[in-house]
Amino acid sequence: MNKRLISIIRKEFIHIIRDSRSLAIVILMPILMIILYGNAVRLDIKEIKFGVIDYDNSQKSRELIDKFIYSGYFKLVPIPQDRGEIQNIFKNRRVKSVLIVPTNFSKDLLTKSSIPVQVIVDGSNSNTASVIINYTKMILTTYSLTSNFKVLKLPLFVEARIWYNPELKSVNFIVPGLIAIILMMICALLTSVTIAREKETGTMEQILVSPIKPFEIVLGKVIPYVFIAFIDGAIVMIMARFGFDVPFKGNIFLLAFFSLFYLYASLSIGLFISTQAKSQLVAMMVALLATILPSVLLSGFIFPIRSMPVFLKVITYLVPAKYFLIIIRGIVSKGIGFSILWTQTIFLFLLGTFLLLISMKRFKTKLD
Amino acid sequence: MQKILYLIRKEFLQVFRDKAMLGIIFVAPIIQLILLGYAITTDIKHIPLAVCDLDNSSESRELIRGFKHSGYFNIKYNDRNKNKIAEYLDAGKATIVICIPADFSKNLQRNLKTNIQILVDGVDTNSSLIAMGYANEIIQSYTSKKIMESFQSKPKLARKIHFVEPEINVWYNPNLEAKNYMVPGIVVLLLTIVTMILTSMGIVREKEIGTLEQLMVTPIKPYQMMIGKTVPFAVLGFFEVFFALTVAKLWYNIPIVGNLVLLAMFAIVFMFTTLGLGIFVSTNSKTQQQALFLSWFILIFAILMSGFLFPIENMPKSMQYLSYLNPVRYFITVVRELFLKGSGLANLWQQGVIMLIFSTLIITLSSIRFQKRIR
Repeated sequence: MNKRLISIIRKEFIHIIRDSRSLAIVILMPILMIILYGNAVRLDIKEIKFGVIDYDNSQKSRELIDKFIYSGYFKLVPIPQDRGEIQNIFKNRRVKSVLIVPTNFSKDLLTKSSIPVQVIVDGSNSNTASVIINYTKMILTTYSLTSNFKVLKLPLFVEARIWYNPELKSVNFIVPGLIAIILMMICALLTSVTIAREKETGTMEQILVSPIKPFEIVLGKVIPYVFIAFIDGAIVMIMARFGFDVPFKGNIFLLAFFSLFYLYASLSIGLFISTQAKSQLVAMMVALLATILPSVLLSGFIFPIRSMPVFLKVITYLVPAKYFLIIIRGIVSKGIGFSILWTQTIFLFLLGTFLLLISMKRFKTKLD
Repeated sequence: MQKILYLIRKEFLQVFRDKAMLGIIFVAPIIQLILLGYAITTDIKHIPLAVCDLDNSSESRELIRGFKHSGYFNIKYNDRNKNKIAEYLDAGKATIVICIPADFSKNLQRNLKTNIQILVDGVDTNSSLIAMGYANEIIQSYTSKKIMESFQSKPKLARKIHFVEPEINVWYNPNLEAKNYMVPGIVVLLLTIVTMILTSMGIVREKEIGTLEQLMVTPIKPYQMMIGKTVPFAVLGFFEVFFALTVAKLWYNIPIVGNLVLLAMFAIVFMFTTLGLGIFVSTNSKTQQQALFLSWFILIFAILMSGFLFPIENMPKSMQYLSYLNPVRYFITVVRELFLKGSGLANLWQQGVIMLIFSTLIITLSSIRFQKRIR
């Protein structure tokens, strides 16, 4: 470690600590994110508001409706018993689906082999709608199979076992993933914005005429943010473990070791942006578009990559968060180790080095 | 009036001179529209499946074919070694495993109970739930198919069974396309980001470079300065909305059923909120970095709690109440309902009233604060 490097690191630290508002936000942001995401994001859909138009109004029809209510997936909301009103009910967002029990339902149940029951679904949110369709089919098929139990003798039982996250808690999926987003935010956003600030206020030129070498400037600027990133990561891990009871199955040191590769790739992106952007606003907007948006959307953080169109799938290979999410979820939820995850680090290392080389080259040419 | 016009002209000149800025205003929406329009496909397809077929009979193969032809699953592995199966799940090579027991076909012929085991990787809650749903559906339809086959020879029994068949009609979005729901939401997102961040940054940049003081010694009054600083971004915001609507209609083919004039009216009301927030941020920040962070802080809350990605009705009650404090929540509902269902003022007036209250409150409070700060 040489003296020049240490004094740049010190200068940057002083900058950070003196700007108490920014520092507060850098520490508070991850806390806000984990509290909001940890509490608000529920990927399992329960208690869907549904209405029934019961033209039969018999014991049998009420039995069928009870199946929906007791499944736990649906919550009955009283609606006018008129088919023509459905349009209005959907427009006022009172229910998400309407079950229409036909007249003669109980009579047909004794005589006909197939009794159609109409279900109308508000499809505007495609995900919710497909879950509603799934649940509806499941409930009706179970109803049919159990009500014909005496006649039918061919039961295949499905015995489902859920591994790693048996209660299917969304928190266990979302919160470890959040660490990837937060680290990316801190590294890419902060580094790109600070370097852009020096450019914008003109202090960059002052540093450049001093005997400091370019890589020392870069390293000096970056190290304080690695430090902050680690603190933020630790805060989130501690809150996840003790605030949200997210089980931690793997080795924490292994995770810290792997995080270094991810930080390396994220910082390289931040540096790359800073060599391009002249003002803080531009740096911030580019960081937002080129790092945070892809880290949230194209990484598998919430939306599965395998469902995306091919051209987006190709792009996901350039998103560092994709690799880190596999690592962090593997270690936290599955407790798997180096033997399975080492390939991900190679990708991260290559990605980081590639970007670092480009930005170093750009940094130098700007100097001459 | 003249003074305000000069200020507006100056602001526009500043925006259009900065090429990078232009890029952000024009390129950023395109990237967001593409990313959000295509990446968010919540329909779960190509679920990697591993099969552990210990029976290996024509019946078990028929069941497996059912999985293959459903279109939901990609059969990646067919392995009789149970230990291998655990490895596939660990490494994420398979999300779901179907284990068919060795006595499957024998039991089937003798009408005995048979357990089919499904192992699911539960880490991704949503995907695993849906994958389990599909697997159940396939096994059940296999069951009913077998039942029907066995009844062909016994018409007497067939008369005794009564199946309730769902007849499902999906309204407003019959093909269940995620883009129809997401793209209208992006309109709101673009408007929020552009108006709020650009306004706050515009004011704070002048503070940081020192030109704000120069403006303050001129005879321009604070309210004129505020109008001059916000109107250009309101115009740009409107442009973004128009642009996003065009892309939604022409590129994504999203049906816009509702009244566009009504949409514009709601957008204007909403814009007072975001511009007000922009001014609020600027009065609380000394540097652009602080303004960025503060805007970010607000945006994270505003976007997450708006129902843009995660439906509010799935949230726990406490979070649902919290979301009532989020102005974006109301506008996003309005835009989606207007786009897809063609809802009118009769269905949306409540949102309108709440939005009006929010915008009046926020713009008044932040103007007062701005005037105080500038003196």
